[in-house]
Amino acid sequence: MALTTAPAPLHRAAKGPRVEPRGPRREGLAGYLFLTPWLIGLATITAIPMLMSLVLSFTDYDILSDWSELNWVGFDNYQRMFTEDPTFWHAVQVTVLFAVIATPLKLAAALGVALLLNKAVRGVGLYRSLFYLPSLLGGSVALAIVWVSMFSRDGSFNAFLALFGISGPGWVNDPDYALSTLILLAIWQFGAPMVIFLAGLKQVPVELYEAASVDGAGAFRKFRSITLPILSPVIFFNLVLETIHGFQGFTSAFVISGGTGGPVDSTLMYTLYLYIKGFTDYEMGYASALAWVFLLAVGLLTVVLFSTGRFWVHYGDER
Amino acid sequence: MSGTPRRRLLATALAAVLLAPLAACGDDGGEAPAVDSTKPVELSIFWWGGDARAKLTEEALALYTKKHPNVTFKKTWQANQGYFDKLATLTAGNDAPDIFQIDDNFLTEYASRNVTLDLTSYQKSNKLDTSKFPESLWKYGVVDGKLAGVAFGENTQGLVFNKTKLAAANQPLPTTGMTWEAFIDWAATATTATKVPGTQDPSADYKAFWIWLRQQSKDLYKDKELGFTAQDVTAWFDLWKGARDRKATPTADVIREGNATDITKQLVVTGKALTSWVWVNQLPELQKNTKDELGVVAYPGDPKAQWARAALYFSVYRGSDKKDVAVDVINFLANDPEVGKVLGTDRGLPPNMDIRASVQSSVTDAAMKTSIEVENTLGKTFGPSPQVPLKGHSTLRSELIKAAESVQAGKATPAQAAEAFVTAAKSAISK
Repeated sequence: MALTTAPAPLHRAAKGPRVEPRGPRREGLAGYLFLTPWLIGLATITAIPMLMSLVLSFTDYDILSDWSELNWVGFDNYQRMFTEDPTFWHAVQVTVLFAVIATPLKLAAALGVALLLNKAVRGVGLYRSLFYLPSLLGGSVALAIVWVSMFSRDGSFNAFLALFGISGPGWVNDPDYALSTLILLAIWQFGAPMVIFLAGLKQVPVELYEAASVDGAGAFRKFRSITLPILSPVIFFNLVLETIHGFQGFTSAFVISGGTGGPVDSTLMYTLYLYIKGFTDYEMGYASALAWVFLLAVGLLTVVLFSTGRFWVHYGDER
Repeated sequence: MSGTPRRRLLATALAAVLLAPLAACGDDGGEAPAVDSTKPVELSIFWWGGDARAKLTEEALALYTKKHPNVTFKKTWQANQGYFDKLATLTAGNDAPDIFQIDDNFLTEYASRNVTLDLTSYQKSNKLDTSKFPESLWKYGVVDGKLAGVAFGENTQGLVFNKTKLAAANQPLPTTGMTWEAFIDWAATATTATKVPGTQDPSADYKAFWIWLRQQSKDLYKDKELGFTAQDVTAWFDLWKGARDRKATPTADVIREGNATDITKQLVVTGKALTSWVWVNQLPELQKNTKDELGVVAYPGDPKAQWARAALYFSVYRGSDKKDVAVDVINFLANDPEVGKVLGTDRGLPPNMDIRASVQSSVTDAAMKTSIEVENTLGKTFGPSPQVPLKGHSTLRSELIKAAESVQAGKATPAQAAEAFVTAAKSAISK
């Protein structure tokens, strides 16, 4: 198993005397042989279906009809998306709104809690596990169901508000608020990036803080000038990952809206719309086209994020 | 994380598609077993429902195996949610079950794409006996001239109300045949008297809208078109906007809670409204979920607009290589008196009238007794069945919910929402 990170082989090559392997090719072959189970999985349940969906995106495939009744429609599906389908644009809007709000807030929450947990307090291990717990339950349907009952009209959230004399609406059933409950749920599941931040924080050399203290730097200054720059690769990693997750949000929207994206399409995330098109409206060809546009869009976004990385991510090896 | 279930589903579907041509090759070779052969046959059967239904169905199928020891069953069942996703995926892989349960939301989707076997010839040769069925009931399984499903269980629209709360506030009970205006008046008065909203707002409910349309000599569908116009929808939304303004209904977010189809979320059960718009045969289940006593009448307006709706059907997969046996099993489930006793009214009133009579006489549950009585009374005035809903019906339903909820939440005027709904509905049925 290749557990080394990318730069490691370089180091080895530079330091140790290069051992000439008897047969690098043979070793490679053996490597691939060991990978076969994974490769078969990759091919049969990921790569080939993905390619099939690309093919299907140029057809009017409807799942139920016989394979022989498939018609080629060229770029019709793609054209329809951009020119004739207002719901598509609506779903894009909902998804972008969700990702743009939820991702930074989730990262901020994760970093904030990680900073607190980085202090040596008694029982810190327990706190760490507790904060990570929501993420363990994260993708689960159960949590979304809990959310529905918490934020319905007679849910516990409104019971809490009632203490202050506020009578809240049925949050998940109100088109003005339903998406906010989804965003809140996403933010609350900050455990995974938090653990990564925590690991990153442990790597920051204590001497730097000591030196800064000697120079009279306050807590905020230390955070800004030491923690953030050293942590920037970790922030970047989390940002990319969480952005992609944000765009892929499906489970919570599906459960909270009962699979419809309602009320009034307010929680119609892109992936949910895609699912509805494919499995409720039986327009699998169109759904495949939606999936490919989505893949390209998220891919493009990742590329853009990487290109901004140059300006703010410090790997500590710059001269 | 969040993306995986969707991905996995898509992947399964696509893998299934990929294998479809391979599976198809295998279908042609085998010889179809005849009903009376002794060759072992395993039939796959798939239905949605709860534990109780599973137990009854398994018991009924065991009776068939007892009579035909060579026939065994591979039984699969699950909750309604996700059932049709799975059925579609199985169909995509040419691996649909030999016998499957289906309802009128999807019958045309499957029949028009030739997934279901045309049972007409079996019916003609009496291998499938529907002679004891009410004619309008089995005809509600005919799509484009083909008998695509055998109606299993009859039901009709029912307005379920909370007797206990109404009686406590000295309010009259709703009656069959009261006009829509009279009903809304009644609900508004009941709200004031009981402090509970008089009725769930059914403007998002296709079956209530459908009845109302039929009373205006319109229909949900006419041939391959919609049977109504945007004006009709506007009038329908306006009617309920008036009711909401008079506080005859709950607020928009509570209405939405009640728009879910689960029995346990119906407002008459959760105590958030005095009446809910359901099916008559759901009364016993609703009654199990509340301490208050419930009653049921027809939807408002002329009850002639109601019809004997097939609660669900059993269909045979056209790609099955055991068609004859599969039809024989369905015939047995529908017409055998012993099976009738086992299945009871779990799927609605038994379609075979003889069996229905014997089941009725043995029922002890009070709510079930009421529901059978009401259904039988309404049955005397039933009008002709409408045509089975067109392809795209489930999309039309969700579009109606969206349009109605946008009016309820004040996001659109009745006219705007009606226009949007009609456009979406037209495109849903024309694809």
